[in-house]
Amino acid sequence: MKLPGALLLASSALLAQGGLNPAKLLAPPTDTWPTYNGDYSGRRYSTLTKINQSNINSLSLAWVYRANGAPGGAGTTGGRISATPVEVNGILYFTMPDHAWAVDARTGREVWHFQWTPHGGEHIGNRGAGVYGNWLYFLTPDCNMVSLNLKDGKERWHKSICDLDQYYFGSMAPLVVGNHIITGVSGDDLDRPGYIESHDPETGALQWRWYTVPQKMGDPGSETWPSVEAMKHGGGMTWLTPTYDPELNMIYVPTGNPQPVIAGKSRAGANLFTASVVALNPDTGKMQWYFQSSPHDTHDWDATQTPVLIDGEINGQKRKLVAQASRNGYFFVLDRATGKNISSSEFVKINWSKGVDAKGEPILNPAKEPQLDGALVSPNQGGATNWPPPTYDPDTGLFYVSASRAFSVYYIYDPSDKPEGWGGNDRGGWAESMIQAIDYKTGKVKWTHKWEDGGRSGLLSTAGKLLFAGDGSGNLVALDPANGNPLWHANLGGSVTNGPITYELDGTQYLVVAAGDTLFGFAMLR
Amino acid sequence: MRNGICVAALLLAPATCLAQSQAAATAALQQVCGACHAVETVTSERRTRAEWQESINSMVARGAKGSDEQLALILDYLTTQYGPAPPAGASPAAPPPAGRGRGAAYSPGPADRQVIDEAAALRGRKVYAAECITCHGTQARGSDNGPDLVRSEIVLHDRYGSTIGPFLKKGHPTQTTPVAQLTEAQIVDLSHTIHQEVYNTLRAALQIQNVLTGDPKAGSAYFNGAGKCSTCHSATGDLAHIASRMDPPGLQQAFLFPGGRGGGRGGGRGGGGASAHPVTVTVTPASGAPIAGTLVHIDDFSVALRDGTGEYRSFQRTSGLKVVKHDPAEAHHELLDTYTDKNIHDIVAYLETLK
Repeated sequence: MKLPGALLLASSALLAQGGLNPAKLLAPPTDTWPTYNGDYSGRRYSTLTKINQSNINSLSLAWVYRANGAPGGAGTTGGRISATPVEVNGILYFTMPDHAWAVDARTGREVWHFQWTPHGGEHIGNRGAGVYGNWLYFLTPDCNMVSLNLKDGKERWHKSICDLDQYYFGSMAPLVVGNHIITGVSGDDLDRPGYIESHDPETGALQWRWYTVPQKMGDPGSETWPSVEAMKHGGGMTWLTPTYDPELNMIYVPTGNPQPVIAGKSRAGANLFTASVVALNPDTGKMQWYFQSSPHDTHDWDATQTPVLIDGEINGQKRKLVAQASRNGYFFVLDRATGKNISSSEFVKINWSKGVDAKGEPILNPAKEPQLDGALVSPNQGGATNWPPPTYDPDTGLFYVSASRAFSVYYIYDPSDKPEGWGGNDRGGWAESMIQAIDYKTGKVKWTHKWEDGGRSGLLSTAGKLLFAGDGSGNLVALDPANGNPLWHANLGGSVTNGPITYELDGTQYLVVAAGDTLFGFAMLR
Repeated sequence: MRNGICVAALLLAPATCLAQSQAAATAALQQVCGACHAVETVTSERRTRAEWQESINSMVARGAKGSDEQLALILDYLTTQYGPAPPAGASPAAPPPAGRGRGAAYSPGPADRQVIDEAAALRGRKVYAAECITCHGTQARGSDNGPDLVRSEIVLHDRYGSTIGPFLKKGHPTQTTPVAQLTEAQIVDLSHTIHQEVYNTLRAALQIQNVLTGDPKAGSAYFNGAGKCSTCHSATGDLAHIASRMDPPGLQQAFLFPGGRGGGRGGGRGGGGASAHPVTVTVTPASGAPIAGTLVHIDDFSVALRDGTGEYRSFQRTSGLKVVKHDPAEAHHELLDTYTDKNIHDIVAYLETLK
């Protein structure tokens, strides 16, 4: 594999220090889960086989860690672990808003707990931490990136990454690429522009910032906005950790909804580069290509679902692909070198689209835009899927996603010519939930496993012929990735709230998953 | 089930059960709401009972899971603990009202964001009308002659005039009146007015405007014809005077998503019998008679029901066990794929005639 020079240098410099060996980021995760998605591809597939179809009924609960009381410290109400833990040298690191923990990956015993004193900000969730060498990085709701010492959780420094007064907040798990700590911003209350930026791992200093909306007329994409005013307040938050192809040296950034979110009257046009998958050079922040999943989104569907890298075959040709099951109900397969669309297909039945254009981008039916008296739309604002990470299993060639077929009514509340912020919303609803297994070569759904009572979790697939998911009844379920048949389950007492991970230590394979404020460690102890 | 007992008791003797119900309510809040988001995102808001009910319905539609008892507990708790804020009479710089607790530190925006003094905002509106409105517009969203103040970073960084004041004093680029003439108090008033316009763009600020746009005759025809609504419902029976019990948006939501319940749950569940039209289930073991009852729980591995005598029964779902679910709202769910938006508006217009 061809590696960027900076990465090799960083690698040799850090090897001697303990901490995370950067080479781990470039290999399939086995004894380590070093980044949000396990590796850069976003496929959340493990090559481990000690836990497998033939012995899954012997999987035991090894430990439980309750992250009691967060957010809010000593409060009586717990929080929700939506973070995917990272596991480095036998220690799990995970976060909740304002909190970071280090927990023994073998025993679930706490090593340290760091608490940030908040100054506000949306506390809806935190996706996790990034690790570089001996340092951990996580974002706080009040717009700070905090760097902690892996060893003891002591703060090294914190840097502002956004302006809390503009109602931005931090929630994404930073991505570490070479000597770049890449951070995104969250927030869709006020009409502010989204951006993604890169920081020096030692000092936190800004290396580059890329705005998801053009900054002046004449810039690429500005032709899709009616005015500078609309464009510079056009949203497009970067809620989710990008994926990365080291050979092409591109990061794949999914961008959020345009603003004003539902009432889009004052932003006529496609509103680039919101609700898109964008390829950037991680060293410069320069855009390489884009593909817009939801042109002129007025349903808060954004496109902040993981762009999963697949090294596959299309019509007998080996291809470098990126696939996204998008919140609007479309499954897109693109060439990840060029961004050129290969296929666009509906992975659940939807009612808002008039098909796709020559570029493979969906065509919005104007009648299904939000209306004063309401428009019945499927999917609803929660989407055909949402942030919980999907998985791609190279053994089956199937892309698995937690999906919903959901309806709600979208209303315009503010009929003026310049609605701002939330000049509309959706209301009510009915939904059914399922796992969809999609053949990336055809875009067709190969099998569906409907949940009896809801369910939307992150997913994990393994070479042990297992697909792990959470249902809506508090069960962690192992499914057969070939056909969706449930093989094993454990009732965790609350729905799975993150993406499960797996790793092997001392010859024992572990499976770690969160439900509410509790982390569960399962192991094949035989 | 402890929660359910407490709810029943609450109706008879509220005082005896209050502490217990609070604990049950916070537990329910944690389990139902905390499964998807931090509870603080809820408790940092203040809403009326109707608004909380709407929030709960909308969350259930997004997949929130709770029994009817839990949802009722949550509604009562939020209404009593996080009802509308008392009218602010305190000094402008007063902290958020007590009972809001630590909410401000856990919800969107800065913890020290400006708390609107309604009286000051009203006074500020006069200053705004005299000094600002011509260029910045009635809602402070700007015009051809002046920038949008709702989106102004000077405004967003301001607290009680802290940045608006110095900006105006330094020399406002297009001022027609020397703004230095504004007193400190007027600047504070003005800041309340402008911040109020910012807050008016946030999620909970606005409501549904008008859904009465359909043709009642066409609605009646659909009700009795293609929609097959009259198979189960009658304008003179269960729906008599329905429009006097619900407003038009409520009517629209009620027939599209009966029970205000989503997530494929249909009618009421969880402990049995709160809903008039619960989901029922018939379970037939490999050998033995069918057992029917109100569905309590179902997943891929087990099914539980409450039978006609009120007995709770649960079964492991083995290959020999036959499970047939009956959701009385199934026809409503199926219609979601066939309604046009015109059908929907026509039905609302028709139901609105049933005063």
